[in-house]
Amino acid sequence: MSGVRRRTSPRDSAPARPPIRFGDDPLLWASWLYYQEGMTQGEIAEEMGASRPTVNAYLADARARGIVNIAISSEHMRSVTLARALEDQFGLESCLVVPSHGGARSLIDKVGHAAAGILPMMVHSGDTLAITWGRTMLSMAQAARLDGLRDVTVVQATGGTTAKIPYSPESCATRLADNIGARCVPISAPAIVSSAQARNMLVQEPVIAEQLTYLSRLDRVVFGVSSLRPNSTIHSSGFFDSALQQHDFYVSAVGSLAGQFMDAQGAPVTGPLSDRFIGLSLDELRRVPSRMLVAAGVDKVQPILASLRGGYVTTLVIDSDTAAGILRTLDVRLSRYISSSRDKPDTPPDETTEAPTRNLVKKFLNDPRDVVNEAMEGALAAFPDHIMAIDDSVRAIGARTPRPQGKVGVVIGGGAGHEPAFLGFVGQGLADAVAVGNVFASPPPDRILTCTRFADQGAGVLYVYGNYTGDVMNFDMASDLAAAEGINVRTIRTTDDVASSGFEDRDARRGTAGNVFVFKVAGAASARMEPLAEVERLTRKANAACHTIGVALEPCSMPETRRPSFVLGAQDLEFGVGVHGEPGVQRQKLAAADRIMDEVCDQLFTAMKLGTGQRVAVLVNSLGGTPMIELMVLNRRLQQRLNACGAQAHMTLVGHYCTSLDMVGASITLMALDEELAALLDAPCDGFAWTRNAVMKQA
Amino acid sequence: MTSIPNAGAAQILREISATIVENKAWLSEIDGKIGDGDHGVNMAKGFGRAAERTPPDASLTEALQTLSDVLMAEIGGSMGPLYGMMFSDMADALGDIDQIDATSFARMLRAGLDGVQEIGSAKKGDKTLLDTLIPAVETFEAHLAMGDSFGVSLAAMRKAAQDGRDSTLDMVARIGRSARLGERSRGVLDAGASSCALILSGFADEITARLENA
Repeated sequence: MSGVRRRTSPRDSAPARPPIRFGDDPLLWASWLYYQEGMTQGEIAEEMGASRPTVNAYLADARARGIVNIAISSEHMRSVTLARALEDQFGLESCLVVPSHGGARSLIDKVGHAAAGILPMMVHSGDTLAITWGRTMLSMAQAARLDGLRDVTVVQATGGTTAKIPYSPESCATRLADNIGARCVPISAPAIVSSAQARNMLVQEPVIAEQLTYLSRLDRVVFGVSSLRPNSTIHSSGFFDSALQQHDFYVSAVGSLAGQFMDAQGAPVTGPLSDRFIGLSLDELRRVPSRMLVAAGVDKVQPILASLRGGYVTTLVIDSDTAAGILRTLDVRLSRYISSSRDKPDTPPDETTEAPTRNLVKKFLNDPRDVVNEAMEGALAAFPDHIMAIDDSVRAIGARTPRPQGKVGVVIGGGAGHEPAFLGFVGQGLADAVAVGNVFASPPPDRILTCTRFADQGAGVLYVYGNYTGDVMNFDMASDLAAAEGINVRTIRTTDDVASSGFEDRDARRGTAGNVFVFKVAGAASARMEPLAEVERLTRKANAACHTIGVALEPCSMPETRRPSFVLGAQDLEFGVGVHGEPGVQRQKLAAADRIMDEVCDQLFTAMKLGTGQRVAVLVNSLGGTPMIELMVLNRRLQQRLNACGAQAHMTLVGHYCTSLDMVGASITLMALDEELAALLDAPCDGFAWTRNAVMKQA
Repeated sequence: MTSIPNAGAAQILREISATIVENKAWLSEIDGKIGDGDHGVNMAKGFGRAAERTPPDASLTEALQTLSDVLMAEIGGSMGPLYGMMFSDMADALGDIDQIDATSFARMLRAGLDGVQEIGSAKKGDKTLLDTLIPAVETFEAHLAMGDSFGVSLAAMRKAAQDGRDSTLDMVARIGRSARLGERSRGVLDAGASSCALILSGFADEITARLENA
């Protein structure tokens, strides 16, 4: 454009008049310079002789008054709709659909460049990333640019080829590594070798074996997919010449992924090549946390669909025609993803639970849906002497300590969000295994059964968990399944939360921090090699002796919503809270710590009929957000009150034992002790949240 | 027509799943008022995964069983087993019949209700999904007994399910995590009752459409 001259006038000079064609309208002038001339706001400010904030305000005003309309072209709009539909249908973390038409690039380069654009969001310092091969992968590798990362490793996902193709596994991996400043690990073997014997020898070669270990600890994988059409990469690459002559073995295959065949549902199709393949297996690929498929072309609808159905994909980059083809195959109505109107009944406004108008709570999170698995992985890495994953779910966790034949197994569990409960109480003298659910949701029966089998040493298994509807159903189902396998299971549901139900209705109460003492007694009794009936009796007795009251000063917030679970005024506290972020039984005015503790003591002492000479175990527990210093202040008053009552604290625990995410607050548990229970609490134990050495008996 | 073929009726459940996924945010929102706010997320996860694993040409029996398996094995919480049992017992009640008529549908509904009651301990009026399910099942059976057609009985069931859902608005929760709120749980719909109404309305709408188009 001509007609715009750079003014060099200083900022403090009088504002310039708009050129005549903009009339007297500075909004129009600013908009023209910004949207048509592509000038920055700073340059416009200089041009117009106005300040930058003024220009910013002009531009906002121009949009608000309709001088500027921002329209997204229908082709791009369609892409967004398709992406939403695909994300929804296949539970993808993200999906990018690029328009199939328009622009100078080939279809493969369109998706290749789009995928390269996603890499900065996907790859981070310290990552190990695998890449397969093919035209699309090479296009992405060529377009990729990443600066400022360190310790990134790019691994070739499969062995190589000698075929004269530019997009071989070797060149895709080296090109990507070069362009993102990563170290490249090749696989120094062919992808398909001549026999199973040759394969077995090669994978034991130290150099190759070492290279292959990278494939077992990938953080990301980027892959393409090939159709079995005559002109597809799989035919021209020279990989599978023999395989395709043995077509009978692969009739059910619809495509190939990382050099392996899969059927329409994404299940691997085995054949003569299966035991001659060197590289990332489909099962291994599916276990990589972040998995990006980049593919374009309607001939790939079937293999892409198979990859999605097989659960191989977390991020999809695709072109719009192919995306539409997939959705047509599934008979998905796109209108569902365009209109947001829905048929739902009106809920009346509810003042007391009105959603709070405040910002999202800040948390250390990646994808909130991954928070439990990532936390478990972190815990397993932190406490390898105490806990281990029983299977590859990282949600069924067992003790490292030996489990002698004839010892009763103790299985605990519940929802996540209570850390260090419950996995911190797995170990010597504590529980044998823990089943971990989603945040505040019970684990499913299969996982509990896995723990049960692990814990069973022929003497039966005791389940100990909090008395919640979901946990009761899932553990009961697991118990039935275990019984069908001949494992004798007994169950104790903890019910220590005094606030949740009347004193007379003990069985309806919930289990909260008292769990910790009940687990300890069960673990100690089982370590003493008591029979199941006796372990059950002692654990039941421990539960009956435990009484807990929780007080919250601030609500907690779930990782998925990051919003407070209830609203608490600046001068309010919530008395009688549980451990799932639910409101308590009573809202009260905030008071001094000693006065709050006095009310807790009044209720607890009454509930347990505490009297002179009674020995108790004490747990002053943070609900997550309350620091140690305040817990110690609370404990000071608690011990004063126990003394005043003539009771004696036999053991005191202060800290984070059974939390409710980030709830600010504390719970107080008192457990009435007799000789039998005291001896069990005194026994040594070793879980990562509670280690106790053998104690010297006091004189 | 008085019945629909069982083969291919998996599409009914795929439509219901789509409705559940569409209403994810709404279900979580009402759950958040008195529960922990994850009902919509978990339901959408379970129904979405099941729909993905159900071929469109499968029978309703197969689709119900797949849905049950996903809910039981992968969702957990309290809704996993409750709906898991409901759909599993519904699948058993249908078995390998070729045509689903009003009588077999009534049998399916009743089996689902029995399944939920067997595993859970709630009663009508406790502010749970039973407040939708019980009146819906009883209404369908009553209309059938009066000699009404499949379509008329379905319409009545749909209405009863929605009335049942709305009845939870004024109830005080007596079971589950919201029970500890007591009076404070009044004035909010129950999330389970709401998702159950979506499911039953979906059955009514989809079957009616097939009866009319047949």
